[in-house]
Amino acid sequence: MFEPLRPWQWLLVAITLAALAALPLLSSNSYVLHVLILSMIFGIFASAWNLVTGFAGLKTFGHHAFFGIGAYSSALVALHSGLSPWLTIWIAALIATVAGLFIGLPILRIRSMPHVAIVTLGFAEIVRITISNLQSITRGELGLWGIPPFESFTLPVLGEMKFTPADKAGYYYLILVLLVFSTGLITLLMRSKSGLALVAMRDAEDAAESLGVNLTRHKLLVFGVSAFLVGLAGAFFGHYIGILTPSAAVGPDLMILVIAMALVGGLGTLSGPLVGALVLTCVVELLRDLNDLRLLIYGAIIITVVMFLPKGLATLGPLVRRRITYLRAPTTSPAKHL
Amino acid sequence: MSNMPSKTLLRVDDITMAFGGIVAVANLSLTVETGEILALIGPNGAGKTTTFHVIAGVHKPTAGRIFFDGQDITFYRPDGRCRSGVARTFQITQPFQELTVEENVMVGSLAQHRSIADARKDARRYVEMVGLSDRANVLAKGLSTGQRKRLEMARAMATRPKLLLLDEVTGGVDQKSIPGLIELVKQLRREGLTLVIIEHNMRVINELADRAIFMNRGQKMAEGTPEDVMQRPEVVELYLGEELQHG
Ligand SMILES: Nc1ncnc2c1ncn2[C@@H]1O[C@H](COP(=O)(O)OP(=O)(O)OP(=O)(O)O)[C@@H](O)[C@H]1O
Ligand SMILES: [Mg+2]
Repeated sequence: MFEPLRPWQWLLVAITLAALAALPLLSSNSYVLHVLILSMIFGIFASAWNLVTGFAGLKTFGHHAFFGIGAYSSALVALHSGLSPWLTIWIAALIATVAGLFIGLPILRIRSMPHVAIVTLGFAEIVRITISNLQSITRGELGLWGIPPFESFTLPVLGEMKFTPADKAGYYYLILVLLVFSTGLITLLMRSKSGLALVAMRDAEDAAESLGVNLTRHKLLVFGVSAFLVGLAGAFFGHYIGILTPSAAVGPDLMILVIAMALVGGLGTLSGPLVGALVLTCVVELLRDLNDLRLLIYGAIIITVVMFLPKGLATLGPLVRRRITYLRAPTTSPAKHL
Repeated sequence: MSNMPSKTLLRVDDITMAFGGIVAVANLSLTVETGEILALIGPNGAGKTTTFHVIAGVHKPTAGRIFFDGQDITFYRPDGRCRSGVARTFQITQPFQELTVEENVMVGSLAQHRSIADARKDARRYVEMVGLSDRANVLAKGLSTGQRKRLEMARAMATRPKLLLLDEVTGGVDQKSIPGLIELVKQLRREGLTLVIIEHNMRVINELADRAIFMNRGQKMAEGTPEDVMQRPEVVELYLGEELQHG
């Protein structure tokens, strides 16, 4: 991960991006776009959670708090101040960052991971119940509606970018840009000196600290960056869906879905959470008509992947490649012993 | 070090380390002079590793002070002590499992270098120094015990310490590779490093140490040249006798 990218990797990224950018030109099917938009929202969420848990090893289960804080902050600020959602999504992301640092601080002192898990989960429940009870502001479970959509604008080649339920191309391109931003930020962070320090901290905290890694600074850094990105995804979600309820925007099942995405895709990898988000969002949508059977099939898929590919779908490529090279050259040099 | 004016690098001043009711280290004082190799010996549970933890900052002592290179570092965190020039290895090795050998050492180099590429270049030197070049790109979880001990040394050296604390580098290592490890420590000393080593292997102590401190039940019982300390009746009775019996 800390090696420079190889040409074929750059090529793969470029092809994927080109295909994603071209898609709305080929199909304006708004259902397909809707599924992809959701996949990308979850892609940002899962990647940001993976940054904290997969890369830095802090087992937090309360990231849906930041999603909800982002969603409600952006919606409420836009509703009451009249500021454009183009601005309020960033304000909301910053509010989520502050919340991230706020919960990050006490977590720094806890070395036992089960405790970290409980504290973060509890924090998210507090956020959900608060939003639910502040009915005069958030309308509670009745739902906050009338959230202003993004204003449309005109692009040279693509024409006018509209943000309406019927025409989803604008939302699609916006979330694609946010996804590229988020993935770029996480990739840069992980490939920097801090990225190496984070993985070291995950694998052996005492050793990392003895080698000069400032644990406090690094834990706050990942918590801040991660909460920022999740808040941003939540803010976009609110303006996209147009209505927010505490259970949809801060419900624990949201967190469980995102954890499943990161696990199925591959925890501690850069592409895993993105792959997992796409696969599971599609699965959820495809199974929507099956009602009760849905959860069963959904669970079975997750278990199958986790059983046969414990490190996730993202490791499928390297695994196949290794098999091939192994078949080509079955004699490996015997490991040299000390 | 005989003709060098001796200068105290580390001074441990009357430290006590208690965990609840267990007193692991009791009123221990010691000094380490620049350029020397001090051996810390004693039976299992004597408090040797705990002493290292206190010097490296893992535990704040219940009482007492620690001075390093003229500064009071008693309340520094471990990463701060590393920056002051204290490095250590762990008795139970703690490799970064999912990182390669080279990347493990890079973690130690980080503070010294601006870019990750520079850290990598620097790390290669230390990987080579401990003789792990042919394993540089292997994940650390694939290493043998002896290789892990070497990795710990390379990582610690990459932080450019003034003082290196080695906790049983020869423990759990096969006999054949001990001479290589002794040679490595000698080389570190030639490069100007000061070392404190925890050792159970008498041959290693005799070959390396300028001075030895014998600990038992958290207390310092004897101090002097290794030959001298090992002839003391209490050391023979409490430690060497037992060692001889167990072969
Ligand atoms: N974190 C801790 N909590 C409670 N007791 C501890 C802790 N660390 C060490 N001890 C106790 O302190 C005593 C000294 O342990 P220490 O590891 O320092 O011994 P040692 O001299 O390094 O022994 P060995 O040769 O077996 O490595 C032991 O009785 C141990 O059980
Ligand atoms: Mg010990």
